[in-house]
Amino acid sequence: MSSKKLSRRQFLVGCSSAIAAMAGARLTSLAFANPGESGAYNEDILVVVFLRGGWDAMNVVMPVSGEDRGHYEAARSELQVPVSGEGAAIHLDNQFGMHPAMAPLYDLYTNKNLAIVQAAGLTSDTRSHFDAMQYIELGTPGQKSATTGWITRHLESAPNLPPSILLPALSAGNSQTMSLLGSYETVAMDSPGDFSFTGDWYYKDLQRAALRNLYQGDSWLFQAGIQTLDAVDLIESANPGDYTPANGAVYPGGSFGSNLQTIAQMIKLDVGLRVATIDLGGWDTHEGQGDGSEGYFADLLANLSQGMAALYTDLDTGGASSYTSRMTMVVISEFGRRLRENANHGTDHGHGSTMLVLGGQVNGGQLYGDWPGLGVDQLYDRADLAVSTDYRRILSEILISRLGNSNLDYVFPGYQGYQPMGLVRSIDEPPPILNQKIYLPGVMRQVEP
Amino acid sequence: MTYPAKQSRLSRRSVLKLGGMLGAVPIGKSLDKVVAPPPPNPLRSPERWLSSRLVEPLPLPPLEVIALNHLAFGPRPGDLESFRNLGATDEQRLIAFADQQLNPASILDSACDARLINENFQTMQKSLEQLWADHVVNNDQGWEYRMLPLTESERAAWIRAVYSKRQLFEILADFWHNHFNVYGWHSYVGPVFVHYDRDVIRANALGNFRQMLEDVAKSTAMLYYLDNYINQVGGFNENWARELLELHSLGAENYLGVMDPFSVPVDENGLPVGYVDNDVYEAARCFTGWRLDYSSWEPGVGQSGTFLYYPDWHDRANKFFMQKYLPADQAPLKDGLDVLDAIAAHPGTARHIARKLARRLISDNPPEEVVAAAAAVFISHVDSPDQLKRVVRVIILSDAFRTTFGDKIKRPFECAASILRITNADFIPSNEFSWNSDDMGQPLFSYGAPNGYSDEKEDWTGTTSLLQRWQLTNALLEGWIEGSVIDLVSQMPSSVRTPNAIADFWINRILGRPMHPAENRQEIVEFIAQGRNPDFDLPDDMRIERTPRMVALILMSPDFQYR
Repeated sequence: MSSKKLSRRQFLVGCSSAIAAMAGARLTSLAFANPGESGAYNEDILVVVFLRGGWDAMNVVMPVSGEDRGHYEAARSELQVPVSGEGAAIHLDNQFGMHPAMAPLYDLYTNKNLAIVQAAGLTSDTRSHFDAMQYIELGTPGQKSATTGWITRHLESAPNLPPSILLPALSAGNSQTMSLLGSYETVAMDSPGDFSFTGDWYYKDLQRAALRNLYQGDSWLFQAGIQTLDAVDLIESANPGDYTPANGAVYPGGSFGSNLQTIAQMIKLDVGLRVATIDLGGWDTHEGQGDGSEGYFADLLANLSQGMAALYTDLDTGGASSYTSRMTMVVISEFGRRLRENANHGTDHGHGSTMLVLGGQVNGGQLYGDWPGLGVDQLYDRADLAVSTDYRRILSEILISRLGNSNLDYVFPGYQGYQPMGLVRSIDEPPPILNQKIYLPGVMRQVEP
Repeated sequence: MTYPAKQSRLSRRSVLKLGGMLGAVPIGKSLDKVVAPPPPNPLRSPERWLSSRLVEPLPLPPLEVIALNHLAFGPRPGDLESFRNLGATDEQRLIAFADQQLNPASILDSACDARLINENFQTMQKSLEQLWADHVVNNDQGWEYRMLPLTESERAAWIRAVYSKRQLFEILADFWHNHFNVYGWHSYVGPVFVHYDRDVIRANALGNFRQMLEDVAKSTAMLYYLDNYINQVGGFNENWARELLELHSLGAENYLGVMDPFSVPVDENGLPVGYVDNDVYEAARCFTGWRLDYSSWEPGVGQSGTFLYYPDWHDRANKFFMQKYLPADQAPLKDGLDVLDAIAAHPGTARHIARKLARRLISDNPPEEVVAAAAAVFISHVDSPDQLKRVVRVIILSDAFRTTFGDKIKRPFECAASILRITNADFIPSNEFSWNSDDMGQPLFSYGAPNGYSDEKEDWTGTTSLLQRWQLTNALLEGWIEGSVIDLVSQMPSSVRTPNAIADFWINRILGRPMHPAENRQEIVEFIAQGRNPDFDLPDDMRIERTPRMVALILMSPDFQYR
């Protein structure tokens, strides 16, 4: 394993006295313990990918046979992904196929690490990007008044996390996502290499020490300042340096790939990361989304798929202690798009979506969720794929079965009638016996000349 | 469009930022408790992030500090004193300042004009037709020249924010740019950005909202950005219509979702209380055929890049928008204009616009009284050519304006401009400046989604956001950024020599009020004294070396971040 562990001494030397005092007493038992050593604490890592703009779920997983194929083709004469021939859908079963640009995920699917939930999403009536994102990320569909995000409330209520963690939550990117609204223990960061306090070589340390005193206080701005200073201390003492992905994993270019790499790097630094969020934008394809298999939308899907596969490969360090065995990634968008294409090679705002769940403890290789059908009377508002699975059901199962937090009333207030779908193995179950090396995903096999 | 656009800016970073382009969305807040108290958690203690120091609420600063931070990009040296000389009472001074600022043409702005002239801009005087011809149709000089109208607009915006005396106008131009956000780096938006900035946003910033809506609707930039340029009968594109209702006019607060339009309740004047999805589709049909004069093969279409109403693309059939019947075959443009008339006069639009302006000028959660008062003026002057000026004036002269400070955090644009202003920097916007300031997360005219940059503090207090503003502060004060020269020592009276005197001189200059909490002043004094007696003169070399670093510390402190 090539991960760079942070030694206790290294940490204490570089660290502010405040963090050191907080962490010092607990260093033996907390984030620095090897995976599996500490036992008492949950060590699973949740990664949430938010696809901003409303992805065209109907072209992510589409019917390849039967009556619904007919509805699909009738509604999408320009945008349909063909059943066979060039650019054909990757058949997942007799009924459904996956967009060919998602080929990098297919091995993960057949290796049962990737599960797909169809017709998932928000049950509220909205086709507004901004309402839908707030409902989902605040975890309170239909209401926008919550002052904390759902992940913030998970961290607040998780019964099985160490008393203190150095860096429990990361928003990979420039700003803190709304699902972490109100969390003062989240680090928002593009890249650990750039995350430092710069200034005159002599005065910058004096400024930094003074800022810690200037920002000491309990109001919102002061807490944000201390949070920032602590994060700088932490990242600096972790000495992230250059990063080389494991297993030859290749992240796609652009911010999504580099932010995923930041997540992998922070996981491997073993600073206690438990949740990470990352955004991929550009899905609001009202026009020019390409034909069924190629073009703008296909490029976005390829970027997503290559990134997910690269992260999985990078974290697949082998054996029971593999990072992948602790990681569950969930992919969500605010809604799917209209079944019927518009006149501009695009699709307008819709309703039901598709969610992806990827991880070493996922019961993958299958489609989940009731399929509502594409007949006009089966559609939501006679126009869009209906929602048969509340997105909270999927997140709740991960919370309970992987993160060991069953406080659904607190994380998703008002959510009733939760039933698991069997998406992930429970933390109580023994892991399946798999020879990971045999089933390594396709991105790794780029060794042929 | 499919934002973010596929083309990228030439600079190293900004395009990477767009990954999170929809990340910062406004957060509605009310006192409703939708979340129960957390269940007991014996293991995780909140003390980690709570310090022992209880900070009292920020005391209300003098009115000139509020005015120069809410109606300007912070004070320049001397601005606070000038405000104090505007009248005998606070009320007189504020009225005088507001009326001066609300009539920008009456303010001589020669210093700023000289700086703009010095930039030798090539595109700022071009008409829309010229911009289109030079930067789209006949451009053989590549991407950089195509985007020159955008990059020049960006540089001009920085110069005006730092140097223009028409500060409120600059604040409002920035407000309306975000309200009617377009993505400047879209390949057909950048070439016409000068037109959008000058003839659409600035021309209407203190004018009439209904007129502004129409100018936006017909603008080349918005037609491209929200896809109405291809909106046609038989397969309408709803992108523009949806954001017109949700973001530009009525607001999400008046969106009732998927609902039978006949079941929407009406208010006391018989107007529907909100809009439903069906209204979005009907509005989209009303705007079919609102396109651009740009085609090489369609009959009756030229190459000018200007707005064109194209009857062949217009949906002639009757429509039903917000409980108003629009008969078939109305006169050209009338369907779309009827939609604009209806939404511009709707009380929901008045409240939405009033609340957003009050959020910009007062606080993240402005009191309902101000919103109601401004909305009332919005409605009573719905046809006045100076409607928006009147609305802004009501907000500025409200009690809430005079009694509110520090509920907001400066956004990166305001933070950087206020540093350059208060330090009396000699500033020319360079590429290096853009790269550094863009890292703070608010590159101008580069936000991908149609909702514009967030105006709420939660979106600007993340660790990267704060760290990057500290980094920019030091980079500017250390003189590392090309085009930005800050000489602090020469601005300090030679009699100011002791650590106490130096600290107080700059605290007073920068903040116009004591630091809060008061003991933070001691931290500044100790920083520059470095163990020397704070009442004794500092040797010259130390005074010269430490003053900029101490000023940087004040500029990085919590006190300087408030708005």
